Amino acid sequence: MVKKNNSMFKENIITNNPILVQVLGICSTLAVTNSVKNTIVMCIGLIFTVSLSSFSLSIIRKLIPSKVRMIIEVLVISFWVIIVDLALKAYLPEISKQLGPYVGLIITNCIVMGRTEAFGLQNPPIPSFLDGLTSGLGYSIVLIFIAIIRELLGAGSIYGFKLLGSNWVSWNIMIMAPGAFFLLALIIWIVKGYFLPKIEKK
Amino acid sequence: MNISSIAILFGSIITGNILLSYYLGMCSFLSISRELKSAIGLGVAVTFVMAITTPLNWIVYNIILVPLNITYLRFIVFIMVIAGIVQILEMIIERFSQTLYYSLGIFLPLITVNCAILGVNLFMIIRQYSFINSIFYGIGSGIGWLLAITLLAAIKQKISKNILPKGVEGAAISLIISGIMAIAFMGFSGIIPIN
Amino acid sequence: MSIFFSSVLAVTSISSFLVILILVIDLIINNYPNFDININNKKTIKVEGGKPLLFALKDKEIFIPSACGGRGSCGYCKVKVLNTSTPYLPTELPYLTDEEKKNNIRLSCQIKVKSNLNIEIPESLFSVHQYETKVLSLTDLTYDIKQVTLEIEKDQNIDFKSGQYIQFEVPPYKLTSETVYRAYSIASAPSDNKKIELEIRLVPNGICTTYVHQYLKVGDKVKINGPYGEFYLRPTDAEIIFIAGGSGMAPIKSILLDMKEKGINRKATYFFGAKTKKDLFLLDLMEDLMKAMPNFKFIPALSDLNADPDWQGERGLITDVVDKYILSGENKEAYLCGSPGMINACIGVLTKKGIPNEKIYYDKFA
Repeated sequence: MVKKNNSMFKENIITNNPILVQVLGICSTLAVTNSVKNTIVMCIGLIFTVSLSSFSLSIIRKLIPSKVRMIIEVLVISFWVIIVDLALKAYLPEISKQLGPYVGLIITNCIVMGRTEAFGLQNPPIPSFLDGLTSGLGYSIVLIFIAIIRELLGAGSIYGFKLLGSNWVSWNIMIMAPGAFFLLALIIWIVKGYFLPKIEKK
Repeated sequence: MNISSIAILFGSIITGNILLSYYLGMCSFLSISRELKSAIGLGVAVTFVMAITTPLNWIVYNIILVPLNITYLRFIVFIMVIAGIVQILEMIIERFSQTLYYSLGIFLPLITVNCAILGVNLFMIIRQYSFINSIFYGIGSGIGWLLAITLLAAIKQKISKNILPKGVEGAAISLIISGIMAIAFMGFSGIIPIN
Repeated sequence: MSIFFSSVLAVTSISSFLVILILVIDLIINNYPNFDININNKKTIKVEGGKPLLFALKDKEIFIPSACGGRGSCGYCKVKVLNTSTPYLPTELPYLTDEEKKNNIRLSCQIKVKSNLNIEIPESLFSVHQYETKVLSLTDLTYDIKQVTLEIEKDQNIDFKSGQYIQFEVPPYKLTSETVYRAYSIASAPSDNKKIELEIRLVPNGICTTYVHQYLKVGDKVKINGPYGEFYLRPTDAEIIFIAGGSGMAPIKSILLDMKEKGINRKATYFFGAKTKKDLFLLDLMEDLMKAMPNFKFIPALSDLNADPDWQGERGLITDVVDKYILSGENKEAYLCGSPGMINACIGVLTKKGIPNEKIYYDKFA
């Protein structure tokens, strides 16, 4: 069991990373990557939702009639997202306002649906929880990386701290939508074209 | 109808494109855009569902959730309304028009959990649109999504025979095209304000 | 406190309103008439409209094989539909080749019956029936393989070719909320058409295998349907190679018993792969068969090189043993039953020996 969980860790973070390899779930989260702080908060919310949704659906998986499976899945996921939303409003009201509707959109994030459907509904609770956790982590690493580059080039800072001095001319495009598209494309290109073939050979 | 409704309509199609400036609906955008025909079918289905669910959820939100002071439940209620409406539409279309079912209906189950639709519903609440404006916003966002996916599918079809560097084919090239399109759409911001 | 009640009330009333709306519309709209389905230009049946073809046929006791239960994920339920207006759906295309599309082959779980249809299905599916049976006995063959003997009830008889399989119906129980079907090869000889034997290995968390091993008792009623399959002995005079391990012995045993009863005395060798001695079973039966059929040879082999030091027989992977015994593939045909991995490895060895692919018959179970 321990060994299996270990390989799951490696698979979900490196060789089968949801963003880089499967290109899933970028919808609602790419939008907040113009600031490292918001990205980290959003990623924690996502990891929380995906692992606990997978866990709770796994517990009740034998009770769900197949006809209403989709609706029940969505309801369980929305439940956890509402908890994330309420917690943010209470403890981080500033960030909650900046994230706006994107917190709610975790419900429709393909990773959450994908992992619960593909793993949580077929496996016992604990492995489902770990699968959700590792998928969420693999996903967060990429997004935080994107956020660091976008914030550094677009605003000259990381996590709000000015790093590049006052002479730095900000690249406005990095903060706007096209910047995220180009950066993600570049990362996928590098990983798919150069790193993955090497890992596979090993 | 007044000036602001028209501004919202065009703003949501071009400068505030739900896909190119808010990144919503990316998953189906990337996977379906391989086929021009399927892309248009899906785009029309999205427009259709957005145009119906946005005003409907406006009513649900302002008539039920606000008076009861339970707006925190909006996620769960909106997604239920969307899922229910999509299922009903699918049944009606399947019964009454075969051609419409095969060009539109079979895509409906795919978009129940499309983030663009829920996203438009949530934006409509945050921006505090009036009922009339929410109708225009729903239609405009749908057309904007349709426009973006059709353009991407058409461009991809055009370059499908070209040889691309290793690793670029697939998702990466779609993202690069989307980025360029996003810049082009932003060029309209002098005429239409970004909302 | 009031917010608690209003929340619960709002969510339940909105959801029940939607559910009722869906049910009412379903009732008004989905009132399709009955349609005629003409099968192979021989027989016409009336079915309820609006349902997927697979389920409409199942209602009439015509069972198209399907492994996923109609969810469009296995691609087995292919049927030739000659006159449908339904264009190819995006949900079917991944499972169909260009050749099949030219021949009007469709996935029967995806197309719905909305008009009269002409379809073609393999003739053998006509003789497929549902049978009600009773568990006659349950015997442990090894620590994880059970032999289940089922007696066909009522006045029904089951006619099958040795090597074919049936589908076993598992009712809803602790591990499943809906009825599921699993395929098992028949291990008994076709001469007895009132009784069949199955060999079922326990798979951890397997829905059907857990049911059989932990819940099924002697005297229980079991529903099966069948027979299916193209895995049966071809009437040639080529030398036969059987390869199967574990519960894969079932169809081979049925074929061997059939050969013995019919007095077929072709040269035959059965390679049985096991891990250790405790995975071997029915050795006495194989001894008897070897005595009765002088041209038949049974060769068990243990793959765990360190286990059972007293073992006198062959050792090593089954592919190595086959490699050692089969010198040339001339005038030979092979029958394999087992996991996809084992079958692919064996096909590799056999084709290297010169047995053409079309002379290798196999039954893969995933």
